[in-house]
Amino acid sequence: MSDESIAVPELSPPPEKHVGTGGALAGPVPWIDKSGAVGGVFKGIRSLFTGMKITVGYLMRPSTVVTQQYPENRETLKLPDRFRAQLAFNHDANGYHKCTMCRICEEACPNVSIIITGREKPAVSKKELDSFVWRLDSCTFCNTCVIVCPFGVLRFDGTFESSVYDRRLLAYTLNEYAGPVASVLEKIEDPDARKAAMEPRDPYGGHAVIEALIVKQKAKKVAEKAAREAARVARVAAKLAAAVPPPEAENAG
Amino acid sequence: MSVHVSTLQARISGESTASSPLSTEEYFVNMGPQHPSTHGVLRLVLRLDGETVREVVPVLGYIHRGIEKMGEHGNYRQFVHLVDRMDYLSALANNWAVTMVVEKAAKMETNERIEAIRTLVCELQRIQSHLLWWGVFGMDLGGFTPFFYGLRDREQICDIFEKTIGARLTMNYIQPGGVMFDIHPEFVKDVKAFLSYLKPKLVEYDALLTENVIIQERLRGIGRLSAARAIALGATGPVLRASGVAHDLRKSEPYGLYAQVDFDVPVGTDGDCWDRYWVRMEEIRQSIRIIEQLIDNIPEGKTFLVKPAAKIKVPAGIHYSHLETARGVLGVLLVSNGKESPYRIHCRTPNFNNLWCIGEMATGGRIGDLVAMLSSIDIVVPDIDR
Repeated sequence: MSDESIAVPELSPPPEKHVGTGGALAGPVPWIDKSGAVGGVFKGIRSLFTGMKITVGYLMRPSTVVTQQYPENRETLKLPDRFRAQLAFNHDANGYHKCTMCRICEEACPNVSIIITGREKPAVSKKELDSFVWRLDSCTFCNTCVIVCPFGVLRFDGTFESSVYDRRLLAYTLNEYAGPVASVLEKIEDPDARKAAMEPRDPYGGHAVIEALIVKQKAKKVAEKAAREAARVARVAAKLAAAVPPPEAENAG
Repeated sequence: MSVHVSTLQARISGESTASSPLSTEEYFVNMGPQHPSTHGVLRLVLRLDGETVREVVPVLGYIHRGIEKMGEHGNYRQFVHLVDRMDYLSALANNWAVTMVVEKAAKMETNERIEAIRTLVCELQRIQSHLLWWGVFGMDLGGFTPFFYGLRDREQICDIFEKTIGARLTMNYIQPGGVMFDIHPEFVKDVKAFLSYLKPKLVEYDALLTENVIIQERLRGIGRLSAARAIALGATGPVLRASGVAHDLRKSEPYGLYAQVDFDVPVGTDGDCWDRYWVRMEEIRQSIRIIEQLIDNIPEGKTFLVKPAAKIKVPAGIHYSHLETARGVLGVLLVSNGKESPYRIHCRTPNFNNLWCIGEMATGGRIGDLVAMLSSIDIVVPDIDR
């Protein structure tokens, strides 16, 4: 392929010199003319010293050091409010949440990092949250769940030290209790009945939920496979029955 | 036009063209995929005759993640966060490219404030990307100090992003219909402080690297790329502009608020490594100009005109839109069948086309200059493979 065959479109002519068009900002374009081998060597040495002046300048001014002594400055280190480190549930002053199990966040999550399970026997309302499991190990911190939540239940907080020794501990249960939402709980007058409707949840119970889900899915798959197999057997039997007429029919004919 | 296809094996076993009065022969060297100067997992197969490079064959696929295919299985909002991971140094521009095509196709409206914020953060990220490139370029040429200085100043932009966006690299900030958060109350103050910090630093950069005779001699006349070949190879961004083609989508097809701001498009003359260096240094200054014009004039308004829905429906058809990232033209082609997820989505990424210029630049040159040429293209490998 030669470039003769490719037509070059009409373009604005290139400027004669490099344009340093940054207004007041742009310095003069540094053009250093070639001044022979010996002159070149001297200019090289000079620019070497210019560079060294800058680096030594920083060495002399320790105030310009920007290094953070991380594990030592844990007390004072504060990350911005919006920093996306860990997904968290918004619980109000009473410890109630507003998650109605609408599953919008679960569907919006690009990598199935949110697993929501409902209570099998809801105490008060029709649907009640059992556990809201967030998997840190597959989360990409895209924040989509936070912006799509219609009730403002989720937020990201800056607890960034999330390393653990067992990766199973990276599946967190975010809700502190299994039970109805705040508005329902507030209608219950009796504090004991309120407490009875709420069942505490452990942050590290997430893995059990995932495993239960996997067992459930596997059982479902096995059942589906068995049903498919049964249907296939029935189909084959029907086909055979149609292809080979029963001997009585032959005799009759 | 005919397309000539050859395998790597055929090229390696091709006839030797070694030219020397001595009995020499060509040899092959693998540069990468784990080479510190290839900026990621890029493998270059070099056909060498002594120190002269006869041929460069980029071999791709070491970081292919199938982002386009993954996009077909999710909805549009889910695809936006995937493109962060293509060219991670222009994550916001990538977000914007997808957002732009979805907004254009689904006829979503934005306001001036959203566009102003998008323009501002994208220009900040262009500076951030060029600062990182400057540091790495200095390191590839053998000076380790620029790397520290470039990263030190880039860190401040990352801090600004951290405050407003909550992430430093993969941000997922620009969303169809708006931006994810409003700017932080301290954003304007921080950006102004950063600009007044960066301007003297640019002078220092010039003293350290630009005006250094050793660097100039090292870069001038190396890796020339003519304007015709740059266009033929599909190069965009600073690589194309350094070859003397004043093509910048921010000027020719203004999006965001670029039509309202005053800036220049720096253009080189020779298309050598020095021109590419100079164009990028100049672009930092132009980005500063753009930010200075916008930072005090962010209009009031919402950051999402309507509450963001998890699912967006795009009318059936083929939609395309493109913009200028720090490395060139990023185009997104979207084929929709009217459903919630795209039928096919394709990204025309700048790095892929820019990479193939290396063959044109390096052939006939010396192997010692190859690293400088590769670094002057400023490639990000995940953007090539996707």
